[in-house]
Amino acid sequence: MGLRRQVLAALALAAAPLLLSGCREEKVTEYTVPKEKDPELPAAGTGGPAGGDQPSAPGGAMAGAAVPTASGASLTWTAPPSWEPGPGSPMRKASFAVPGAGGSADLSVTAFPGDVGGELANINRWRGQVGLPPLPEEGLPGAAERFQANGLSFAVVDLASSQGPKRLLGAIVPFGDGTWFFKLIGPDPVVSSQKQAFLDFLKTVKPASAQ
Amino acid sequence: MRNLALQFRDFFVSLRLTIGLLALGLVLIFWATLKQADLGVWGVQQKFFYSLFVLVKLPGSDLALPVFPGGYFIGGMLFLNLAAAHLHRFRLTWRKIGIWLTHAGLVLLLAGGFLTSLFQKEFELSLDEGQTKNYSESNRDCELAVVDTTDPQVDHVVAIPEGILAAGDPVQHPALPFRVVSKGYFPNAALQMRRDAPGAPPSQATAGMGTQLALTPLAVTYKEDERNMPAAYVELDGPDGSLGTFLVSTELGMPQHFDYAGRSWKIALRFERRYLPFSVTLLKFSHDIYPGTDIPRNFSSRLRLATPGAGQREVLIYMNNPLRAAGLTFYQQSFANEDHTSILQVVHNPSWTLPYVACTTITLGLLVQFGFHLVGFFGKRRRAEVAP
Repeated sequence: MGLRRQVLAALALAAAPLLLSGCREEKVTEYTVPKEKDPELPAAGTGGPAGGDQPSAPGGAMAGAAVPTASGASLTWTAPPSWEPGPGSPMRKASFAVPGAGGSADLSVTAFPGDVGGELANINRWRGQVGLPPLPEEGLPGAAERFQANGLSFAVVDLASSQGPKRLLGAIVPFGDGTWFFKLIGPDPVVSSQKQAFLDFLKTVKPASAQ
Repeated sequence: MRNLALQFRDFFVSLRLTIGLLALGLVLIFWATLKQADLGVWGVQQKFFYSLFVLVKLPGSDLALPVFPGGYFIGGMLFLNLAAAHLHRFRLTWRKIGIWLTHAGLVLLLAGGFLTSLFQKEFELSLDEGQTKNYSESNRDCELAVVDTTDPQVDHVVAIPEGILAAGDPVQHPALPFRVVSKGYFPNAALQMRRDAPGAPPSQATAGMGTQLALTPLAVTYKEDERNMPAAYVELDGPDGSLGTFLVSTELGMPQHFDYAGRSWKIALRFERRYLPFSVTLLKFSHDIYPGTDIPRNFSSRLRLATPGAGQREVLIYMNNPLRAAGLTFYQQSFANEDHTSILQVVHNPSWTLPYVACTTITLGLLVQFGFHLVGFFGKRRRAEVAP
């Protein structure tokens, strides 16, 4: 092989990678897929460790990051004076420390866009938090106590496991484009003693514009 | 001129160059290993190995200077050196076939590494037990999906890679009755409800959820256990004027819906999807441990693959036993949700066979080479024994 050919071959070899690296260009693509449902925020059974009430955003939201909450019109309420308002967080509309017999329970108010997976998924998420097995779909009609107040529909559950020390009172309230959740969780004696107060509190909940 | 060309050739065929490049490679690997603590594996790969030069920013400025040859430079030069030396020095004879094969294998190995760096794409497929999916998601790259949801059976998707949003190039696609114009792109950002961030500047968003949200740009993270959450302001520009500016972010987790031109649409920034020609259902994830300990023995996922029109089959993926299908390799990568969610790594690497071919060629070359020597050695000994 002559010298000139050797040099040319070397140059061609050197140029090849540069040409190839042009292949990485990003392109807009178009395709058709079978109809997809939008992701449901708190999927039943995937509540994070300790059953936090933060929905696990698909793709794994970073801990402590803000989560989309229901926007638009808001609800208001009147809490008993003995409940101590807690620090807010990006996810919570409000929180209270609820004192009771020998301890304190945590009341959280959260709101998310859409139906957040539906009533059954959310009741089952809560059941998981107190160590109860999930309900089948047929169990839904009898699972919650329902009432209307101030033009809002409340579905209230009272959940406790004979094995666990915790009791959970929860209310699911569809409002506007979103769903609001009121959850009181804590030691069984505290939550039981505050059940009436919690129900009375729910009856003070009303749309902000209806004041 | 001829003299210059000669010098040029002598430089590229010299063994000194090989040694010099290997030494530089050694330093590069050592430095990159130390930097892995700050940048993570992916960051180090990009900065040190998938680059021509290692760039370092001058303190107090945005100017980056090349301070050391990068992986592409060293690898490329080694490739040239090897190929040039080969062309120049070795003669194609049967006695040299072993050396030829060994060097050809090395060249293939380098070429394979380079092609992998260019074309390999990694995705993740996270499945809950019982869940079915027909796509995998990138764990790093994002795309803006603009979806026409009018048809009750199918969704028509136009996917715009984040690179185009970052560059700010407007996108006019034949399937869209509006232009998509990026008004600002943030490689990592946090979102907050506007009412929780009273000091936030006014939102650029004029439609969708973004009007209620405040965006705070964050520094890009390279840590293994953190994920960048990109966000962008995207204006949709119809022939009759703007439809509004949406704030999109992977953090929102769900698309934003709107109607335009008699059709229903949704828009979302999401981790880049790669649709599969089949659907995958996780039947069971198993996390086996050695009896009486917490030491993991095996992780495995039993999956059902269903190809439309071609039936279905069950496969078992476990450590070191990936599934290869449709040009993709599915590895058992991780798990979550108290052993009810399996996370598979899905790798698309068109050049995955090259390292195998290269190693086989090298082995063959070495066997032939040593074989010739061995035969020669025995021959010599026999002659020595026969001699008086």
